[in-house]
Amino acid sequence: MEKEHDHTRHRYGMVIDLDKCTGCGTCMVACAAENNVSVRPDESDKERSITWMQLYKITNGKEFPESEVCYFPRPCMQCEEDGNGGKHSPCVSVCVATATEIDHETGIVSQIYTRCIGCRYCQAACPYHARFFNWWDTYFPKGKGLERYLSPEVSVRMRGVVEKCTFCHHRYMRAKTKAYAEGRKTLEEGEYITACAEACPAQAITFGDLNNPDHAVSKLIKSPYAFRLLERLNTKPKVYYLSKRDWVRKKADNFLPGEFKPVFKVKG
Amino acid sequence: MESTLIHQEPKRCSTRTFFLWTLPWILILGWGGLSAFLCLWKGLNQTNMSNIFAFALWIVFDLGVIALGAGAFFTGFLTYIIGKKELKSIINAAVIIGFICYSGAMAMLGIDIGQPLRGWFIFWHANIHSMLVEVSFCITCYLSVLTIEFLPIILENKKLEEIRGLRLFGHNLHEAMAIFAATGTFLSFFHQGSLGGMFGVMHARPFAARGGFYIWPWTFFLFVLSAIAAGPCFTILCTKLTEKLTRKKLVPDDAIQSLAKISGWLLSIYMILKIADTLGWIYGILPKAGLRLMDCYKEGPYGIWMLITEIIICGIIPAIILMIPKARKKMPWLITASILNCIGILINRFVFIIVSLAIPVMPFDRFWSYVPTWQEWGVGLAIIAYGIIVFSVSYRYLPVFPKERELNMA
Amino acid sequence: MKLNRRNFILSLVGGIAGIQVTPLPWKLMDDSAIWTQNWPWVPVPPTGEFTSVKSVCSLCPGGCGIKVRKVDNRAVKIEGRTDFPVNPGGICPVGMGGLQLLYDESIRYLGPMKRVGPRGAGVFENISWKEALSILSNRISALRKKGTPEALAIVDGNKNDSTMSALIKRFATAAGTPNYIRMPSMEDTYKMTSYLMTGNSSPMSVDLENANYILSFGCGLLEGWGAPGRVLNAWGLWKERGNKVKIVQIESRASNTASKADKWLAPVPGTEAALALGIANVIINQGLFDTSFIDRHSYGFEDWTSEDGTRHMGFKRLVTDKYSPRQVSKITGLKEGQIVAIAKEFASAKAPVAICGKGKGNNNGSLYEFMAVQALNALVGNINKPGGIFVNNTLPLSNLPDMKLDAIAARGLKTSRIDRAGSKLFPFTESLIDNMSRAINEGDKNTVDTLLVFASNPVFTLPDGGAFKRALNKIPFIVSFSPYRDETSYMADLILPDHVYLEKRDEVVCPTGLQYPLYALSQPVVDPLYNTRHTGDVIIQLAKRSGLQRYFPWSDYEDVLKFRARGLFDSGRGLVTYKNNKPVWQQIKQNRLAASDYSTFNQMWEGLLAGKAWYSLPHTGNVSFSTKSGKFEFASFKMKSVLGTYSKGSLKAMGIGAEGDEIFMPHYEQLRSSANRHDYPLRLIPYEIINLADNFVPSPPFLTKTLFDNQLRKKESFIEINPKTASDYNLQEGDRILVESPAGKAMVRVCLTEEAMPGNLYMPLGLGHTAYDEFLRGKGANPNQIISAEKDPLSGQFVWWDTPVKIRKI
Ligand SMILES: Nc1nc2c(c(=O)[nH]1)N[C@H]1C(S)=C(S)[C@@H](COP(=O)(O)OP(=O)(O)OC[C@H]3O[C@@H](n4cnc5c(=O)[nH]c(N)nc54)[C@H](O)[C@@H]3O)O[C@H]1N2
Ligand SMILES: Nc1nc2c(c(=O)[nH]1)N[C@H]1C(S)=C(S)[C@@H](COP(=O)(O)OP(=O)(O)OC[C@H]3O[C@@H](n4cnc5c(=O)[nH]c(N)nc54)[C@H](O)[C@@H]3O)O[C@H]1N2
Ligand code: SF4
Ligand code: SF4
Ligand code: SF4
Ligand code: SF4
Ligand code: SF4
Repeated sequence: MEKEHDHTRHRYGMVIDLDKCTGCGTCMVACAAENNVSVRPDESDKERSITWMQLYKITNGKEFPESEVCYFPRPCMQCEEDGNGGKHSPCVSVCVATATEIDHETGIVSQIYTRCIGCRYCQAACPYHARFFNWWDTYFPKGKGLERYLSPEVSVRMRGVVEKCTFCHHRYMRAKTKAYAEGRKTLEEGEYITACAEACPAQAITFGDLNNPDHAVSKLIKSPYAFRLLERLNTKPKVYYLSKRDWVRKKADNFLPGEFKPVFKVKG
Repeated sequence: MESTLIHQEPKRCSTRTFFLWTLPWILILGWGGLSAFLCLWKGLNQTNMSNIFAFALWIVFDLGVIALGAGAFFTGFLTYIIGKKELKSIINAAVIIGFICYSGAMAMLGIDIGQPLRGWFIFWHANIHSMLVEVSFCITCYLSVLTIEFLPIILENKKLEEIRGLRLFGHNLHEAMAIFAATGTFLSFFHQGSLGGMFGVMHARPFAARGGFYIWPWTFFLFVLSAIAAGPCFTILCTKLTEKLTRKKLVPDDAIQSLAKISGWLLSIYMILKIADTLGWIYGILPKAGLRLMDCYKEGPYGIWMLITEIIICGIIPAIILMIPKARKKMPWLITASILNCIGILINRFVFIIVSLAIPVMPFDRFWSYVPTWQEWGVGLAIIAYGIIVFSVSYRYLPVFPKERELNMA
Repeated sequence: MKLNRRNFILSLVGGIAGIQVTPLPWKLMDDSAIWTQNWPWVPVPPTGEFTSVKSVCSLCPGGCGIKVRKVDNRAVKIEGRTDFPVNPGGICPVGMGGLQLLYDESIRYLGPMKRVGPRGAGVFENISWKEALSILSNRISALRKKGTPEALAIVDGNKNDSTMSALIKRFATAAGTPNYIRMPSMEDTYKMTSYLMTGNSSPMSVDLENANYILSFGCGLLEGWGAPGRVLNAWGLWKERGNKVKIVQIESRASNTASKADKWLAPVPGTEAALALGIANVIINQGLFDTSFIDRHSYGFEDWTSEDGTRHMGFKRLVTDKYSPRQVSKITGLKEGQIVAIAKEFASAKAPVAICGKGKGNNNGSLYEFMAVQALNALVGNINKPGGIFVNNTLPLSNLPDMKLDAIAARGLKTSRIDRAGSKLFPFTESLIDNMSRAINEGDKNTVDTLLVFASNPVFTLPDGGAFKRALNKIPFIVSFSPYRDETSYMADLILPDHVYLEKRDEVVCPTGLQYPLYALSQPVVDPLYNTRHTGDVIIQLAKRSGLQRYFPWSDYEDVLKFRARGLFDSGRGLVTYKNNKPVWQQIKQNRLAASDYSTFNQMWEGLLAGKAWYSLPHTGNVSFSTKSGKFEFASFKMKSVLGTYSKGSLKAMGIGAEGDEIFMPHYEQLRSSANRHDYPLRLIPYEIINLADNFVPSPPFLTKTLFDNQLRKKESFIEINPKTASDYNLQEGDRILVESPAGKAMVRVCLTEEAMPGNLYMPLGLGHTAYDEFLRGKGANPNQIISAEKDPLSGQFVWWDTPVKIRKI
């Protein structure tokens, strides 16, 4: 039954080239601006601020002047399976109210704010800290006028619910609506692209359908330098990273001594 | 007037003394009430919970009291299903303690979720894959069962008994108690288990994750076992504390010893399985995730001492004491063993909740610390105050210890 | 039934039980859940017609193409444009957050205002535009009537060569004041460098995209240097080409650029010129330089004889004598081998380019250092070639018509500039704002009566230890044209607020560093939200009211833009259509000049109004310099003709310690701080990051999400210290310390990091605002407040990268 629909099934995914990424943070701002993320007067409380896309800064741990930094932009990994043969990402399987689901058409892990009861079990289950609870009411004080930039394509969240990166799902809807209006059923590569990928000034983020071998993402993930965050936990993220630096790749997962295999000399 | 409600008239303290006794607890309850109000009105920003510590003090209290409250269903199970007659003298106390623990936990959960008014979505939009759904269903049902079990005790109140209809109703309920005890046992088994399952299924959190049987990770069974091993000890502690405070003997020794012995057995079995589980975790799950045992204990205040304390000091030692008849018959030993046993289970629950979340999974992530706010302490301690008040009121007005009169004839 | 207590209780219990079987509790339960889904205080963004407006961002001199998504008349999102040559799709975080600057009412002036509270308290009263304009024009007229037009001073932060700055400067000239003072930027230093070595003050033009070896002397390529949208894209292109491109960063801190570069060298701050000359030494001694360029197009490389027959030392001898790797190693702290290796790589690369301008380039650089770096470009002959630097690359905009000044103005213009720029000690410098502050702060009589501040926030952004703010306190009347409630406008007496960039038509002229001339217009994306006015229009209106209308024959600012754009058309070149599959840098490489795609001025203008960019290819190939020798001058004739006559004392006053011919050539001057290094043993260096705005524009609140909590935590910001230095002071991560310089004190917290060079302290710029609103005010410390700037030799501009400080734990 499910097999029949395979040709309409997408697995949207992202490849982030960490060597290109400059740590500029535009992706974070683009995401917040695109998705009506609340900005509070004190955003330095990192445990409670909402950053669907978040930059992590890593260092090679060496002394000056051998020290180097690198940045990990971290959206929701849009995890796929539970590693036990089940069908759900860590967060989806635990949600009490079915407020977060995997969309089988796109592979996108959704979040339904009006259904979420705020139990935060999903947060506990997500090892990437990709889920954010609204500890406060959304901050758009009267008389400031900031609510004027809010986009009607994304609903504003109330306090007490969890939110997360949706791969800009509304942009998928927008692209599909446009395609239908033009009498097409399928989307071209690049028609649906996330706000962060679009905004990145260093073109470090590539977005597309991992199921479609013609899409750039499908080719990029074949690189020996491609990897995913915490890959060995079997969360099957659809967000991939690229880096030629061994120390960067080594920071992407936990390795017992001797387990990490550096990439030697690759042709091409 | 108040005295007419009291069951065993001559043996209760004066109204004034009773009021003074409850006063501090009432004050704590007030503190908790204010805290709860703030959390509901202003939101959970009143706490120090965070996106890292999504579960915190309240969940520790929740899991703690639910584990300790396990004395209720387990004593019920022993009394009505296995037929351990001697436990009849302590079953009422066990049921009341259970009721307190579960109702308190439910109340606290109602504040802990971000959208309490949507709490019922758990049932309406239930996700059958979620262990927390299983927990919610079972706890809710079991609280109803506990209420039903509590009801006949209430109806035995001197004044209420005068009403014929209620007396008959209460009596009939008593007759049916075995059925409820069985239901309760079944439900409790599942929710204790699924509470453990909640953590075991977090497969992307290597600190908590466990393999298991069918849909249930090993923590499912370990939580059940540890709860029924510690619950009876908590019932013993509550009883002994009441005896101490009232300067009366309330429960015959055989009941206490019977509980202690069973607890000892269960704790021993639990310890064997827990050690096996821990070894499996250390040599299976952790290396698969690229971690070594000490990676889990390298930062923050949560050192390996927690594991040692939980297993050796609060596990193996009380198990040995409780297994040796001579030792458990000596009150100081019994009390020590019971306290250790209860602390052990609390550490276990604390570790699964707080330490699981505190330990960063991404290698470049960092260790965060968490200190509860006064609002969190308020709500947490209010549950204890509520328990003490309910138990005191019950003791004063209800026949909690049926053997009390007999034991205090002399 | 009797209503006794028992029955009452029974009916109560029965009632409660009864209600449970009615739908009421279920209905209530459902309704209350629905209520939580529709809380009235959670905004519901209204929907409407979706449109998209193409424009250009003018928040920085980067000139990125942007398109703004609108719903009815609300702007809801800014995105990068792929049909604009500067930035193929991406933009920077500041530009991305721009809507917050438009819509955050509490950081804006909603109309003209005059001060009613004490100065600096930010208490103003609304007035009408009519009143505001007449207050100011009366004041200016009065100054002119009194015959002291020079008591009018102007501080302008508009970009070099922009129509806004041309118009403002014209107003100053028409009124008769020489005191038109520009905010410093690296473009000043670059222009002087070009002027002295190549003969024309052309803007900085670097063909980054085609370069394959980028030797960056402290440029914050990833921190917002030049045109950030363009530079970051170039970075992506370099990384795509993998090993074929090498980026070398020279900087004392592991900035993002240094970390992500292929090689990072950390010399002692302020010794970059020596390093450049050390590299030159190796290139020359190993014969790696471009002999054809040096022979045919350069002057002063070998020893030379001047007209009067004197022998002079050439660049080659200077470098050979004084900048051997050994000597340079001693100065810079780098290893000899490092210097030799870089020199060899640089000189043997196919398209090497050396660039300068510290950090974002919001502030000036060091003139001799820039000259030394430029000398490297000349050595490898990569001038006017793809992948190199282009000289004489200006936009052919029409000049504003000449003015026939009245007697008052003519007299006023003859008075000496308050900042003494262009005077004997500062012969090549256009503006020196710190000299103005000093003149006011130290002078006993007020030389400035009225100060107009345009597009700048000097109180916050100048690295002057608060000198400018102290000067403001002495100026009788201050007028701000800022749209924002910034630190400087807080000090003003009159506010004539400009529109915010998304509300107005403005232009982008040659985004900083871009290798080809480009001109574009920004759109009024939304109608002005408040009672603000375009400052360009206001100047024209002001001129009319001050009796200067004959110099301003335009109806409004757009009219002026159109006037100037005529020159683009008249140049006979340039395109306005751009296809993103044909990036301009590729066209430069192929040197294929496409023909103009318009035939009338109106076609070109309509294209510009529609958001297209006018651009043309840079002048490649034949190298002609407008110096006296017609060549690239390692030894500058211009400098020689001016400085040649100076006494040793005068040179010393200029900060020049060198003697003889060395003075006219790029060389290293040791920093000479007047502070006692014994009392102030550490060095404070401010650093810039791309996710904080530290110029005229405030940071959009979104940006605070991107800061790490070892940069800002609650109200405190952090200073970066190497753990070794910190251990000398027993400092732990997060400790609070007092940083004290001769100019002041700041309280900060400690961030221990190996990214910092031992002995130096690094503080981010862009924090520590005392104005704006809750999102920015009172967050962190502003290093500018404690920077005790010295003067850069020759240029007299700020040395803001070497403040001696001491620290104390508190
Ligand atoms: N029995 C019954 N059936 C009905 C109806 C009924 O009244 N009763 N109503 C019919 C009608 S009118 C409709 S419109 C349809 C609605 O039916 P559906 O279109 O199936 O609507 P939902 O199930 O509400 O949501 C669709 C998906 O969007 C996901 N989602 C929600 N928000 C987001 C987001 O921000 N990002 C991403 N990525 N995903 C998101 C959800 O998780 C879900 O997977 O049902 C129809 N079917
Ligand atoms: N809280 C919440 N709100 C929602 C949604 C949600 O999921 N949650 N879903 C949204 C969605 S997707 C939708 S489509 C809307 C649906 O919301 P509505 O448009 O309100 O749809 P219904 O309530 O299903 O039906 C409307 C009315 O049509 C009547 N009706 C039925 N058949 C006929 C007929 O033949 N002729 C006439 N004249 N009337 C008829 C019905 O009796 C009913 O009174 O709700 C939206 N609102
Ligand atoms: S926008 Fe691009 S370059 Fe900037 S931080 Fe994000 S991924 Fe990195
Ligand atoms: S990253 Fe976290 S939130 Fe996203 S799908 Fe995976 S588990 Fe869920
Ligand atoms: S917080 Fe919301 S989304 Fe997360 S598990 Fe609970 S109900 Fe589901
Ligand atoms: S995909 Fe969309 S929602 Fe996710 S991080 Fe990027 S911009 Fe944000
Ligand atoms: S780089 Fe400059 S022009 Fe480009 S978006 Fe950012 S602020 Fe605007």
